[in-house]
Amino acid sequence: MSIKSIYGCMGCGTCVRACPTDVIRQRKDGKAYIAYPADCQICHLCRMYCPVDAITITPEKSIPVVVSWG
Amino acid sequence: MREKSSKGMSRRQFLGLTGGVIGAAALASAGIRFNLVRNEREISPDKIELKDQETDILVIGGGMAGLFAAVKGHDAGAKVTMVVKGSLGTSGQTPFAKGIFTYDPLTAEMGLEEYLEKISASALNTNNRTFTRQMTVNSQARVDELKEWGFFDSPLCHKAFSKPVAERNISVVERVMITHLIKEECRIAGAAGFSIDDETIHIFNAKSVVLCTGAGGFKPNGFPICDLTHDGSAMAYRIGAKITGKEWNDGHGGSMDHPAACYDNWGDMFERTPGTNGMEIHHDLGVDANYTAYVKGNPVSMGPGMEPAEGGPYIPEGFGMNNDKGPRPTDSDSGPGGGPGGPPPGGKGPKGGGPGMSSSASGGASAGMAIHKSEGIVPINEKCESHIPGLYAAGDALGSYMAGAIYTQIGSSLAGSAVQGAIASEAAAEYCSGVTLPEIPPVKIKQIREEILSPLNRDAGYSPAWVTQTLQGIMIPNFILYIKKEGLLKAALSYVEELRDHHTPMLKASNLHELRLAHETANMIVNAEMKLKASLMRTESRCSHYRLDYPEMDEKNWEAWINISQGTDGKMVLEKQPFGTWPV
Repeated sequence: MSIKSIYGCMGCGTCVRACPTDVIRQRKDGKAYIAYPADCQICHLCRMYCPVDAITITPEKSIPVVVSWG
Repeated sequence: MREKSSKGMSRRQFLGLTGGVIGAAALASAGIRFNLVRNEREISPDKIELKDQETDILVIGGGMAGLFAAVKGHDAGAKVTMVVKGSLGTSGQTPFAKGIFTYDPLTAEMGLEEYLEKISASALNTNNRTFTRQMTVNSQARVDELKEWGFFDSPLCHKAFSKPVAERNISVVERVMITHLIKEECRIAGAAGFSIDDETIHIFNAKSVVLCTGAGGFKPNGFPICDLTHDGSAMAYRIGAKITGKEWNDGHGGSMDHPAACYDNWGDMFERTPGTNGMEIHHDLGVDANYTAYVKGNPVSMGPGMEPAEGGPYIPEGFGMNNDKGPRPTDSDSGPGGGPGGPPPGGKGPKGGGPGMSSSASGGASAGMAIHKSEGIVPINEKCESHIPGLYAAGDALGSYMAGAIYTQIGSSLAGSAVQGAIASEAAAEYCSGVTLPEIPPVKIKQIREEILSPLNRDAGYSPAWVTQTLQGIMIPNFILYIKKEGLLKAALSYVEELRDHHTPMLKASNLHELRLAHETANMIVNAEMKLKASLMRTESRCSHYRLDYPEMDEKNWEAWINISQGTDGKMVLEKQPFGTWPV
């Protein structure tokens, strides 16, 4: 995991727009969640843009195993 | 992707029209075996709606070049619409570029002509002097405007970028990936793409398009370009534009500690507010460190104590690591490990060496990207115009050779994007005043819709994640693009041609996020073919292109750039354009 957690989100959607690789999406209630962790480039823009410091990021990343040939 | 079948229809079109199952069945009956992973669709392609918009200038991209293209095109009297794959000021490399070059003739340490001579000496004649001069003399005006908008007041540029755009009421369409440029009657007619948020295909009918789509790579770990997949080059190539500079490399190093963490690799540089750079000519970010890493193995150090391997890329006297300033310290703010656009000296953030400058550095990090502004659409003049009337490009989308095929001036990348964005769009506005809005026939829109949605329509096929990983395995090893030799370039090309012919037409997507990845993957495959073919053609070594089998510079045969275009048979055509000339 690269974005480790989102805690205290107020649902403003700023992190969704800040992410260059479309990792974060909003649920129906507006709260942000990590939708596509494999595409995170660990650039921290989401964390830096978050107005309430809700996002924690770690430098480790693991990519899900992709099914062979597909 | 554009390989023609015997019936004159591309395979992708064929499969898009007939559906993946029939196409797959036909291939299976031909004895070709492959694995099927069912496409569990989250959305219905049939429900995706079309939205049409008309504008004078369509600016594609929301980085530094796109910002100035939007603002200056508007100020020149055109109706401007900006469309961004991400969001204004938060996608591409612009958010991470912390240094911008500025030239003040009153305080500069050398005169303009002497400066330009030195740039060309470092660039071994690979630079286009017109664009180097243009960047230099226009840099201060652009920097002054950025100051007024608040660019230097925050490490985050969305707010500063939004100010002039909002003041002018310029329409910005965000989170829409443009996949197609549209050409009608031999001139640009607009562009098309899809929203990654709602089920909409956007058709932009425009008199002119300014591509500010940035550079690209193969979604490398540890370098913040994973959203940059050479979309502009790939789209422009498909409608007949010429593309240049595919043999050059960006030699940024990576870190062996947390190699996927872009932020950590730059030593917190992303937190800094941007600054300005004065004249400081280098011969940086070529493949000399990559050569040492290749010969000796990782890790390599680019700081004191580094003993380069014997041989390797030629560095002109007075430049590079052994210049008269001595080796750069590992905690330098201005070393070759700087972020995209180069870091400023004296930035306000904590000191950090950047990739390649840490104690556990490794070889190439940007994996597939070239030196800033050395690859992209071929300009036919100093107005950043392409071979296609109405199509302009700026910044890293334009192969302007502003700095040459090596990194010659820190901060010039960001300055050049600002300068070229303004110039391209002012020229586009002038072009718009003399033409009517071209018509896009409904049959063309229908065809584009089918091409955009074909990965969603496919019941079986290959996921973009798998194809991308496979492509990375082919292109990222240091013995392919960095330390080149004929046999391995040809071997890699065979693999890439397989991905082009067999896998691109069967990319599948189950949602709009994956649809974006599918189109990005197709663009990367086109780019990979270009990079390998240009690297094979250039039988010499110069600047950031190093051939182990042709290690010397060949001034007799290779004082020339390589341009790539699509031939009438759909195949890539490569040709030389002599240094210092404009295309015929």
